[in-house]
Amino acid sequence: MSNGMPPSRDDAPPGHPRGRTWNRAGDDPDPSVPALEVDDLTVAYREQPVLWDVDLRIRQGSATAIVGPNGAGKTTLIRSILGLVPRAAGRVRILGSPLEDVRRQVAYVPQRGSVDWDFPTSVEDVVLMGTYGHLGWFRRPGKREREAARRALERVEMAAFAHRQISELSGGQQQRVFLARALVQEARVHFLDEPFQGVDARTERSIMDVLHELRDRGDTVIAVHHSLQTVPEYFDGVVLLNVRLIAAGPVDAVFTDENLRTAYGGRIPYRSPTSPTSPPPPGASPAAGPPPPLEG
Amino acid sequence: MDGGFLPALFTDHTLRVVGLGAGAVGALAGSLGCFALLRRQSLLGDAVSHAALPGIALAFLLTGSRATPVLVLGAALTGWLGTLFVMAVVRHSRIPEDSALGILLSVFFGVGLVLLTFLQRGPTAAQAGLDTFLFGQAATLLVQDVILVLSLGGVALLLLALSWKEVKLLAFDREFGRVQGIPMGRVDLLLTSLLVVAIVLGLQTVGVVLMSALVVAPAAAARQWTDSLGRMVILAGALGAGAGVGGAWMSTLGDGIPTGPAIVLLASGVVAVSILAAPRRGVLWDRIRRRRVRARLAAGGGTPGMPSEAPGERERLGGGD
Repeated sequence: MSNGMPPSRDDAPPGHPRGRTWNRAGDDPDPSVPALEVDDLTVAYREQPVLWDVDLRIRQGSATAIVGPNGAGKTTLIRSILGLVPRAAGRVRILGSPLEDVRRQVAYVPQRGSVDWDFPTSVEDVVLMGTYGHLGWFRRPGKREREAARRALERVEMAAFAHRQISELSGGQQQRVFLARALVQEARVHFLDEPFQGVDARTERSIMDVLHELRDRGDTVIAVHHSLQTVPEYFDGVVLLNVRLIAAGPVDAVFTDENLRTAYGGRIPYRSPTSPTSPPPPGASPAAGPPPPLEG
Repeated sequence: MDGGFLPALFTDHTLRVVGLGAGAVGALAGSLGCFALLRRQSLLGDAVSHAALPGIALAFLLTGSRATPVLVLGAALTGWLGTLFVMAVVRHSRIPEDSALGILLSVFFGVGLVLLTFLQRGPTAAQAGLDTFLFGQAATLLVQDVILVLSLGGVALLLLALSWKEVKLLAFDREFGRVQGIPMGRVDLLLTSLLVVAIVLGLQTVGVVLMSALVVAPAAAARQWTDSLGRMVILAGALGAGAGVGGAWMSTLGDGIPTGPAIVLLASGVVAVSILAAPRRGVLWDRIRRRRVRARLAAGGGTPGMPSEAPGERERLGGGD
């Protein structure tokens, strides 16, 4: 489940967006630097805390789920890390640097429902939006960008839809287009907000395959996830959140009855494979002390 | 050549100037209006144009001049102030945007009307004609006015073309742009400024009361006919230009017919036809498609998936995956 050393980037198969068409910003980061460091992060809406004093370490080359009940602040956690929500306090480092310095290493897949899918544009155009950050003002996507967009669409099995109007897509297809738009950014740390929402099982599978490939390549995948059942299968690590950080670490260490009860307020929508016999591992006690670091 | 509309439009100097000016105003408002429509900011155009009225009156009050550039500058200033005011209200209070726009619209318009009434009582006749800004009078366009519209409008459209992908991203997914480090706030400022320019340039022709219709109507009509943003903007510009020219001509038919209502009537006609008859998005088309699907289901050949239908149609019928 938890994979060891991240594999070398050099064995990236040709044709993958990681073929680095243009994103030469920053050489390969030191693999010992955490992909994400969050210290004392607090976010509030109108005095009401949405996230309270969250500390987090996520190592490179891992796939991590952010789980918790509704209103736990999962989406807010991602959005505040990405600077979309103002932080009341706290510090965030991505690949050891402030977001401003590593924007080109960061990809974002927002919730599917966050945009108007009746917008007059094509699938290819939406994917090309992932190249705008590299292009800079005034420059238009050219042949290179279109080629990269085509490859990204192939990765998510949507190449045949490149010229389709986006309002004609099903929910799963929309989600895959958003994933392709993130792939084309050629980033190293990928944030996804509910990538499986309203998606059928087959699409979920194929999205997860893409995310696992990214991880196996040494990229970092961090996703808000809703189904506790699939966490052990899909992810290496898990962040259990309910305004405060309940626990974070490898899935078996975090998914204890006690942690889940703390997060979900007694009603556990999931029985951990280790329950009820095995005691919670040390360091995984709820909301006490610093959470176990995800990296070694 | 005598009689007939087209010959007069091409031979009569005044009509040519007026037609050119009104057409340019329509093209500018129509093309930029697409973004107001897609960003669901149609009311913003209304607020800006109403907020421009006190600017026109104040500009005249302070300078005593009725020259178009002076009045347009005044209009742009208060139109802009109004927009900033709405943005500030939305950011710092719990008043939602539509309420803020509604408040701004009526307050600024009221102030403008009071100022106009005050000016009408003035001792000289110099203020005569300011009230044409209420409903527009294309016949008052001079050659230099048209040159102003063409040059400023040309710059506005050039800026739009240069910032095309940023503006598109702003309209579709602003936050995705922010994460990529694109200064979306500045893009928003640019696009809003261009819309303000388009609106104040059109006030003399269309008037503050109905200007927003020329912003929204061509865009709404164009959206019915195409699924490409580029084609939509070009088509809306063309429809706006057509409504401008046609409305200007209509207003010259009878003495004192205000241009604004004439233009807006034409534009609304185009919208009505588009909503009804456009392929795929039109109401008639929808009816026909629904009947066909129902017939197929009744014939027993239909499965819930309806494989012969495009996925989009499945979605609209409440199926989907």
